[in-house]
Amino acid sequence: MTTEMTQVTVEELATLMKKAAGVTVDPHDLERRVDTPFAEFGLDSLGLLGIVGELENRHGRALPTDAERCKSPRQFLDLVNGAFTTGA
Amino acid sequence: MSGQRTRHTAITGIGVVAPNGLRTDTYWKSVKEGLNVLDRITREGCGHLPLRVAGEVRGFDPSALIEDTFLVQTDRFTHFALAAADAALEDAGLSGIAADAPYSVGVVTAAGSGGGEFGQRELQKLWGQGARFVGPYQSIAWFYAASTGQISIRRGFKGPCGVVASDEAGGLDAVAHAARAVRRGTDVVVVGAAEAPLAPYSMVCQLGYPELSTVEDPSCAYRPFTSAACGFVPAEGGAVLVVEDADRAHRRGGVVRATVAGHAATFTGASRWDRSREGLAHAIRAALDEAGCAPEEIDVVFADALGSPEADRAEALALADALGPHGTRVPVTAPKAGIGRSYCGAPLLDIAAAVLAMEHGQIPPTPGVFDVCHEIDLVTSTARPAELRTALVLSRGLMGSNAALVLRRGPGTAA
Repeated sequence: MTTEMTQVTVEELATLMKKAAGVTVDPHDLERRVDTPFAEFGLDSLGLLGIVGELENRHGRALPTDAERCKSPRQFLDLVNGAFTTGA
Repeated sequence: MSGQRTRHTAITGIGVVAPNGLRTDTYWKSVKEGLNVLDRITREGCGHLPLRVAGEVRGFDPSALIEDTFLVQTDRFTHFALAAADAALEDAGLSGIAADAPYSVGVVTAAGSGGGEFGQRELQKLWGQGARFVGPYQSIAWFYAASTGQISIRRGFKGPCGVVASDEAGGLDAVAHAARAVRRGTDVVVVGAAEAPLAPYSMVCQLGYPELSTVEDPSCAYRPFTSAACGFVPAEGGAVLVVEDADRAHRRGGVVRATVAGHAATFTGASRWDRSREGLAHAIRAALDEAGCAPEEIDVVFADALGSPEADRAEALALADALGPHGTRVPVTAPKAGIGRSYCGAPLLDIAAAVLAMEHGQIPPTPGVFDVCHEIDLVTSTARPAELRTALVLSRGLMGSNAALVLRRGPGTAA
């Protein structure tokens, strides 16, 4: 699998927020508000933990423990994609 | 300021989700008509189990009533509680109360079954796919406390909250707990219980109960107080009440539908129905004492009606023990014979029926029961018109709890 393919996009995050936490958010809106805290989207800490678990299962690898503590979409995507890129 | 004043607990709102009605008005219509809605269990994955008949809540669409963010993290038993809480608050005219005074509203629920369907789904992932596939909401969804927590979070209530896990009779104990919170100074408590014990895992948990009816014919599976009594039929659903300080209710122009006058609970051991006679009689006496109520004042009894010969006999004798000669004269009814027993939800549904019965002056009949073999005046066939000022609601649990609750008819709008 190439690095390109393992990148988590804003669209994928929006889909995961719906699936794991029932939070409906338009991907374009999420893109625009990428620095807005997850809490303002209605995503709680267990919801983010569910997203982390889902990504770990999809990609077959563990994410950094900090992933579930990220406060905003940008922080989360940067951390997750950084980890996938470096193979951490 | 109000420290010396005795605070009375008023019931000002009722919300019901039951096998015989998804709203309070349809529930009452079915109860009054003595409709028997017990039927073969149709829930997925249950067909091979020896438990065949139950009171299923059908046509309930949680996605039309509850936001996705709450649906993904809750079990069916919490969906019922959330929907019933909404209905009760709307009925009380308090839908917007959290915005005004979040700390003035508490939540109390009772639970005996928990979130079995949600738990089973996640446990199947655990053993089918591995621990990494178990969702984090498993950590909250199937616990007894889930409904209290989710009602308070969703509605923004920040007053005292609690969960009563004291067996089926805990439904009555929860209302008593809420009344104590009101007496201690909380303005409003949302209190209730709803259960969803008809998922495969939850059903298997019940199969060991000797009192469970495994009769396949819905028309004769649950016939309390008859010589054909063959155990009880489980059910889904329950009810939520809004209780509040009666004076506060009057001041805001709320309708006091009934007051919680007295309660007591005892414990006599699992499946020791012979001993439940003494336990139930003691609970009745203590509840009457707290209510300052003479036995003759009781106008109607909503019986526990477990449906096993020994338990029915104990309850009939307990009424005679506690109420004296009035015990064989007072009208007794058991609407749950047509609905089933939704564990902790059952006594809440009986409270709702008792309040509605007092308001309408009608004692609903015991569905499907005609040949009573105990010394009680069981109301059968059709509703009996009567002036009802005081109702006694009884409940027992399979694990040995007994409880009694005395309700007084409310003055309606401000007295």
